[in-house]
Amino acid sequence: MKLDTSGFETSMPTIGFGSSNDMLDGFSTVPSFDLPRTTDFDGFQKEAVQMVKPAKGTTTLAFIFKEGVMVAADSRASMGGYISSQSVKKIIEINPYMLGTMAGGAADCQFWHRNLGIKCRLHELANKRRISVSGASKLLANMLYSYRGMGLSVGTMIAGWDETGPGLYYVDNEGGRLKGDRFSVGSGSPYAYGVLDSGYKFDMSVEEASELARRSIYHATFRDGASGGVASVYHVGPNGWTKLSGDDVGELHYHYYPVPPAIAEQVMEEAAAE
Amino acid sequence: MSIFQYNGSAVVAMVGKNCFAIASDRRLGVQLQTIATDFQRISKIHDHLFIGLSGLATDVQTLEGYQRLVFRHKLYQLREERDMKPETFASLVSAILYEKRFGPYLCQPVIAGLGEDDKPFICTMDSIGAKELAKDFVVSGTASESLYGASEAMYKPDMEADELFETISQALLSSVDRDCLSGWGGHVYVVTPNEIKERILKGRMD
Repeated sequence: MKLDTSGFETSMPTIGFGSSNDMLDGFSTVPSFDLPRTTDFDGFQKEAVQMVKPAKGTTTLAFIFKEGVMVAADSRASMGGYISSQSVKKIIEINPYMLGTMAGGAADCQFWHRNLGIKCRLHELANKRRISVSGASKLLANMLYSYRGMGLSVGTMIAGWDETGPGLYYVDNEGGRLKGDRFSVGSGSPYAYGVLDSGYKFDMSVEEASELARRSIYHATFRDGASGGVASVYHVGPNGWTKLSGDDVGELHYHYYPVPPAIAEQVMEEAAAE
Repeated sequence: MSIFQYNGSAVVAMVGKNCFAIASDRRLGVQLQTIATDFQRISKIHDHLFIGLSGLATDVQTLEGYQRLVFRHKLYQLREERDMKPETFASLVSAILYEKRFGPYLCQPVIAGLGEDDKPFICTMDSIGAKELAKDFVVSGTASESLYGASEAMYKPDMEADELFETISQALLSSVDRDCLSGWGGHVYVVTPNEIKERILKGRMD
């Protein structure tokens, strides 16, 4: 990776990469950028990075089973303690047979997934065949690696169905890329893993798998303060993805744990009658 | 997150016509993780006096559950052979909090009671005892900003007990639904001169 040192000569102080890099010609070399005027080269962005860092307040999960890939997520966006939205779409439709999940900075995830969708389409047009899940996740991982250390916050899973069958990859802003059968990402992931790991079998039907995914998200939203809203469940099969359900988690709780009719009513009536 | 947001809490009290209502959420958490959903934040001092504390849970339990406040009131009852007036109790709490001025209890109390002639009294304090009296409603906790907005919008003066219950419940539930750190149900006490009605609210458990 050759650094373009012409940036040293600029007299213009910059906040970021400047306008010279065009996202669309990402096939070529790493975009050059104007370097900022500062003495503390490594540390000056630390505050910005730290601000974004704890923001992976979410629960997303995906797993491969006999019938394909099941993908599920909550829908809460939080800023510290404040809930900024209960209806964020965290499962992003990259194209009709590939899904990406969002964890971390919302803007980062939305932008890079859309960018990935563009690249996948260009690949299709150039090569007359669909890109594989492995290839798509590699494209994303390489893009994120080149922005490593600049404060992007992306913890995503790429799930899809290609010629080799179902595929699931985890990609994050450090540039890591992992192939696997089961992943959960976000602050609610430990709780989701607990339910997912204990209920998982490879030979599940679509209904069983979607119920497992829904339950895992529900339990994560119960225990984790930064997850909540609506539990969405998607299924990726040989013909592409379909959305299976979107259940409000507040109602799911009382569906799983109904409140028995209150005995207290009778007690209070007696007291009032006295 | 600050130490006041370590456990997460929401408390609100409102004044009605010869009655008052005090409500709190029920979550006990450790930062983002929820530990319990039945945490008691409101204590009865006597039949016409309640105190709710928001903030660090261990200080909430120390002050109201066991050691400081209930104990002091019991001593007062033994000596004076009567219940404390809410205004007096508020001054007591303020003094107890200021005793720890340089190592404070990390909580914010909300005091609600019926005083002389069954006139409702509410007040709140910061963590070192600065009293803030109000005629309509007082709020405290991590969801306090949302609670201010919701209470301001929904409050009307001179509400009867049932309407007051509806109002305070709606204000509490809609505010904690905007806060990651509080909620998971609600606990409401509506107190009139003749009875105390305690109710648990069914809220969003996320």
